[in-house]
Amino acid sequence: MRDSLVIFRRELKSYFYSPIAYVFGVLFLGVLLYIAAKGSLVAGMQASMQGFFGLLPLLLLIFVPPLTMRSWAEERKTGTIELLMTYPAHTGSLVAGKYLASVAYLGFVLVLTLGLPLTLGAYGRLDWPPVVGAYLASLLFAGSFVAVGMFFSSLTRDQIVAMLVSLFVLAVLYLLGHPLLAGLFLEWLPTWGVDLVHGLSPYKYFESIARGALDTRDLVYFACFQGFFLYANALVLHHRRTKG
Amino acid sequence: MTSRNQTAAGPRCAAQSGAALAVTVHVLLLAVVLGQIVFLASRHRLRFDLTSDQMSTTSASTRTIVDKLDKRLVIEAYFSPKDKLPVNLRQSREVLENFLDELVQIGKGRVVVQRFDPNEDKAIADRCTRLQIQPLDLRSQSSTSLSVDRHWQGLRFVYGGGKQKVMSQMLPASWFAAEIQLTPAIKEVATQQKRKIGYMEWPIASGGQQQAGGTGWGALRSVDQIAKRFEFQNLKDEDGALLPNDLETLFLYRPKDLTDRQKYVLDQFLMRGGTMVVFADACEYAIAPNRMFNRVPVVLDAPGSSRKFVDQLACYGIDWKPKVLADMAAQAHTARDRLTQAFEYLALPQQTQFGLQMAAVPYPYFFHAMAVDWSQSADQLATRDGKLDKDLAAAYRKQFGPGIASDDFLWKAFQQVGRGPGFYWPTWVGLREKAPGAVDLPAGVTGRVMLRSSPAVLAEDPPPALDPIGRGDARARAQSVQKFQQKLAERFQSEPRQQAPLMVDVRGTFASFFAGAERPKRPSEIKEEEAKKAEAERQAKAAAEGEATEPKPADEQGPPPPDAKQPEGPKAAPEADPLAQAQAPGRILMIGDSDFLRDDLVRGDHRQAGGPYSTLGGAFFVALLDWLAEDRDLLELQSRVPVDRKLEFVDAEAVPTGDARLAEQALRRTTFWLVVANVAVPVVLLALFGFAVRLVRRAQKRSFHASLS
Repeated sequence: MRDSLVIFRRELKSYFYSPIAYVFGVLFLGVLLYIAAKGSLVAGMQASMQGFFGLLPLLLLIFVPPLTMRSWAEERKTGTIELLMTYPAHTGSLVAGKYLASVAYLGFVLVLTLGLPLTLGAYGRLDWPPVVGAYLASLLFAGSFVAVGMFFSSLTRDQIVAMLVSLFVLAVLYLLGHPLLAGLFLEWLPTWGVDLVHGLSPYKYFESIARGALDTRDLVYFACFQGFFLYANALVLHHRRTKG
Repeated sequence: MTSRNQTAAGPRCAAQSGAALAVTVHVLLLAVVLGQIVFLASRHRLRFDLTSDQMSTTSASTRTIVDKLDKRLVIEAYFSPKDKLPVNLRQSREVLENFLDELVQIGKGRVVVQRFDPNEDKAIADRCTRLQIQPLDLRSQSSTSLSVDRHWQGLRFVYGGGKQKVMSQMLPASWFAAEIQLTPAIKEVATQQKRKIGYMEWPIASGGQQQAGGTGWGALRSVDQIAKRFEFQNLKDEDGALLPNDLETLFLYRPKDLTDRQKYVLDQFLMRGGTMVVFADACEYAIAPNRMFNRVPVVLDAPGSSRKFVDQLACYGIDWKPKVLADMAAQAHTARDRLTQAFEYLALPQQTQFGLQMAAVPYPYFFHAMAVDWSQSADQLATRDGKLDKDLAAAYRKQFGPGIASDDFLWKAFQQVGRGPGFYWPTWVGLREKAPGAVDLPAGVTGRVMLRSSPAVLAEDPPPALDPIGRGDARARAQSVQKFQQKLAERFQSEPRQQAPLMVDVRGTFASFFAGAERPKRPSEIKEEEAKKAEAERQAKAAAEGEATEPKPADEQGPPPPDAKQPEGPKAAPEADPLAQAQAPGRILMIGDSDFLRDDLVRGDHRQAGGPYSTLGGAFFVALLDWLAEDRDLLELQSRVPVDRKLEFVDAEAVPTGDARLAEQALRRTTFWLVVANVAVPVVLLALFGFAVRLVRRAQKRSFHASLS
């Protein structure tokens, strides 16, 4: 735990010292808030964050891979991973520290979007509990994408490859949960197959929580999904560490 | 050397591939275990509805109705396979199936769902056709073919093997939508006996002519949800027969031209402990196509009636002032969303920069009671020229009360909406008072006011016309509206502040209005008596003549008088003796408007022209029926009004009278700046933070370099 905290601090600092994080943050916030604010305040005229949370997964899909691509690949490229591996800490702690730092950074960016619900609350009757639930879902969803991105970053030393592979995998996972694609699958998969494929996607579970229904199934899914990729990440690193 | 390397590389390679295999197996096993955990979690799950209006949770209504089922409810679900459904319908199927599963769970064996696939078996498809379950034929297109697919999504409820209901096509978009359709259907099949309600109505005369249909109050009575649970019987008998003894509730829609006999019938109904609901109006205004609002003469008491209906009501404790009311409080006569729903009250097409738009015309004769405690506005109302009159404020605080002055479940949904149903040219219906503010109810009678206007109400005798629009072009009409409002404003300045009661509930053991007086006779009795009298006179005359002349032989006497020797028809049962005092507690519910339930207003016949349209009239009528029947089963469901989450960027009251253009400009300005602020502030904050971090880092670096040098 202490080791994780040390890594967490180091990673978080590196995020805030790096200009990329700010470029990422400004772009992410600019695009997300502009479209969501236009949709809610001008077109929608309803005190609802549906537009915001409808767009968020797509933007996370685009912005998370560039954020996570450097987590292990850069360490490997610059050789600092050797130093990190000699650090007397469990591999899992290293993975957890990096993962938490990425999620904390995304959480910080999400906090900066709170102005929109506050505006909606000031001019209308915003239903706050589902909004809080949706923010929680966003964090879990972002965490899932970070876990996947970090895993693919651990497989290669090339950041661009890591980014492209995770972008592809995340896009597939995102689309699997989209109801439109489920319709296409129906033509050549049995119903149980479609349900299985559909059930793999974090998007499906995100949608459920974001709608205002907090289900233990969704929370268990997110825990398992993230746990799986983080464990696989740790396994890859452990394998590399023992291999020398 | 090479061969030694090769021999060493072999085991290493094997070890590496073994390790990779181990990792893969490890990962696969983990995936399987986690998959199992997710699967188990989906089987045993807990669900929390975070929405404040609980729109994704089964309401108490559904639970109560299912709990009360004493026979088995079989729900036959005629569903074609889900995997063949188009994507947009899959969501509704999921919602429906989840809801049916929930019903089975809360039914604890009393609810059984049987699924049939009409596409699989022609016999089932034929049965669907017989049951009038409608298929959904959708065209599907692929690169090589074009076909029409038939989908089924209908339900049939069979309760106790007998009563049934068919829902031909169910496509609920949400849990709430499914519940609002299915729960009343269950209630309907589980209702053993319809509750009987009598009514008398005096249809709206237009231009002096009765319109055969469309301007009565029948539209709501024939709504499926109501007609399946309540049996309405027209009891307006021209001969004035007493009402059946088993009748508990009687509705009077805009009573007028009442004869003494009709008043007696109503009186005796109350003496037997009946509940009388009166939708009263002081006048009748014709809504002509050009909405001229001209008064059609209304006389409450029929010619020849010696007793006044107003006095009769006063005898029971009700003070009805047949005056027409106008509420000058802007929020009372403004539609909830006047930019888009102006047709609820009155709107006119106006040319704006955004094209021809309906703009609301403030018309205080159409208003609603507000769910506001007006006593809290006492200070504001007692302030004149910036000075607060403390005594007056104290008097107002005592005098004024809440607009919806009742916590009864009838008002639950309306309290949420923040107002009662809209009334159109309403009238003053209060409790009898001996002095202003001093209620004077008869002994054994209790009463309460349930709805009130705002304290800014004006009362007047119904004028011949209440037309704010006039004729002519747009300019002339605008001038006419202005003049109309100016007149009202002048009256408002000169008249004292008062709050008009709009609905009262009076109950107890009433004393008969006809106590000590002779029972008014039925028209047939009067006719009979007159005939008898005429016959007696004729006989007396004949006898007098007979004395003077010789009696004629029988065959020369001519035909016998009409009813002298004819066989007598079935005689009406002798009427019960008049009751001077109530045998059982009776009840009168009097509402100062009947227009809000009128067919044309409920159906929205005038929407196209810009109103009026009674948007909440139907909801009120349904709630009223359940409230009178003390049937709370559907209460939770009916009161589940989705909260209005509309954004209010511009204060509608701040915009000069109904100018859509100004409102639109103000709206655009506000939203533009809000969008700019929402985007710019976080982005700039983040950029500034980054810049500050950079400066700090640079300073740290410099000081580090300086320390080195």
